[in-house]
Amino acid sequence: MNISEVKFGSLLTYAPRGSSEKAKGAKTAMINLKNDNVLNSGVLTSEYIVQAMKKEINTFPFADYFNSKTILVPTPKSSLRKSGTLWVPQHITDAMINNGLGKSSEECLERAIAVTRSSGQRDGSKRPKAFQHYESMKVKELLFEPEEIILVDDVVTRGSTIMGGVNKLAEAFPNAKIRAFAIMRVVKVEHFVDVEDPCIGTITMYGENTSRDP
Amino acid sequence: MAEEIEYQSIDLKNLLGRPLNDIEKKYAPPIIYYKGKITPPLPCARVSIIGTRQPTKEGLLAAEEVSKILIENNVTIVSGLAKGIDSVGHKTAIKNGGKTIAVLGTPLNKTYPKENAELQEEIMKNHLVVSQYKVGYKTTRKDFALRNRTMALISDASVIVEAGDGSGTLYQGWETIRLGRPLFICKQVVHNSKLKWPKEMIEYGAIELDDPLDILEVIPSNVKMPELFQK
Repeated sequence: MNISEVKFGSLLTYAPRGSSEKAKGAKTAMINLKNDNVLNSGVLTSEYIVQAMKKEINTFPFADYFNSKTILVPTPKSSLRKSGTLWVPQHITDAMINNGLGKSSEECLERAIAVTRSSGQRDGSKRPKAFQHYESMKVKELLFEPEEIILVDDVVTRGSTIMGGVNKLAEAFPNAKIRAFAIMRVVKVEHFVDVEDPCIGTITMYGENTSRDP
Repeated sequence: MAEEIEYQSIDLKNLLGRPLNDIEKKYAPPIIYYKGKITPPLPCARVSIIGTRQPTKEGLLAAEEVSKILIENNVTIVSGLAKGIDSVGHKTAIKNGGKTIAVLGTPLNKTYPKENAELQEEIMKNHLVVSQYKVGYKTTRKDFALRNRTMALISDASVIVEAGDGSGTLYQGWETIRLGRPLFICKQVVHNSKLKWPKEMIEYGAIELDDPLDILEVIPSNVKMPELFQK
């Protein structure tokens, strides 16, 4: 793993322990996104969020992430995946391309070995590390050399999946500029202001751990 | 004829109170028959408590503990009215003043197993019993597996408390994973070296349940998602 710093963009926030109405609304948005529920308007949550993002894209700090050279790569789930199973990052990248955000969506990063999780992994030291993500992923060959890649995820916590994935992509595409984007990022209750909180930031490796700012 | 009138029917969209995505539609039954005090759309949130018909003492205790914590947090318990773990889920909800939904593998006018007739009657009277099978339909073994898929579909998350390799409960587990919903497996089962399925399901995204309170973090509340960037 040669990359220790990844630039990322993110549109929304949610605080897992938030108890205010706003925080609960953000949690509903997270669950709707994670299940890619169809909203009462008849639109998938992924499509709804991407459409809202597209309308305001020029006002967001990550506007330049989505240009005519950008290849979007959906982030693999931490688990193995059977065909026909819901894969939200893929829905997001498809919605982005349909809305003119980026050049194409390429499912070129996949999980070869599951990185397991338990419900009690609030303790950061027990979460899978970036190198475990890196070692458990593989890249499928593309028929062209991408210039810019955005690794797209639904929700980012500490960024270890992104860090592992970006390093894997960087090995396969050494000349590409690689950044990341997550629709939602997890924040502490005290940092939660509103579900809408577009930002750009940095995911950094220190030792074997990963931190995200903001 | 009188029995037909006694039961109401509804499609999944109206039962859940929202349209279904393509993955949800794949195995969704076109019609659900129902009877009970709970009226559609179903209350939020709903968690399935499922498992073997021949539980161990630890399994029964775990089913009761998880159900009780969910009930205390206003979660509706969904289960299949079978003997063992299912019955504990329903009974714990009833005993603790919570809500429960029984999803049958038979039409609503039948009971399986017979010994749960009284429990079914109580759930029909004060909670909700649903079935995808019309009165008069002749039940076969596979109907219970199909029912398990439906149970996964109407639950925001599922918890497998205890189950053997080859258990019908596993149909619901795999369907929960396919739908992208959280599937929890109780710790003592995950660490049972005689079982193959927990390891395999965990590789495909199931979560080892350390603390029942963790379930609350991944299930929805009644608060709606805000409209985005409308200012």
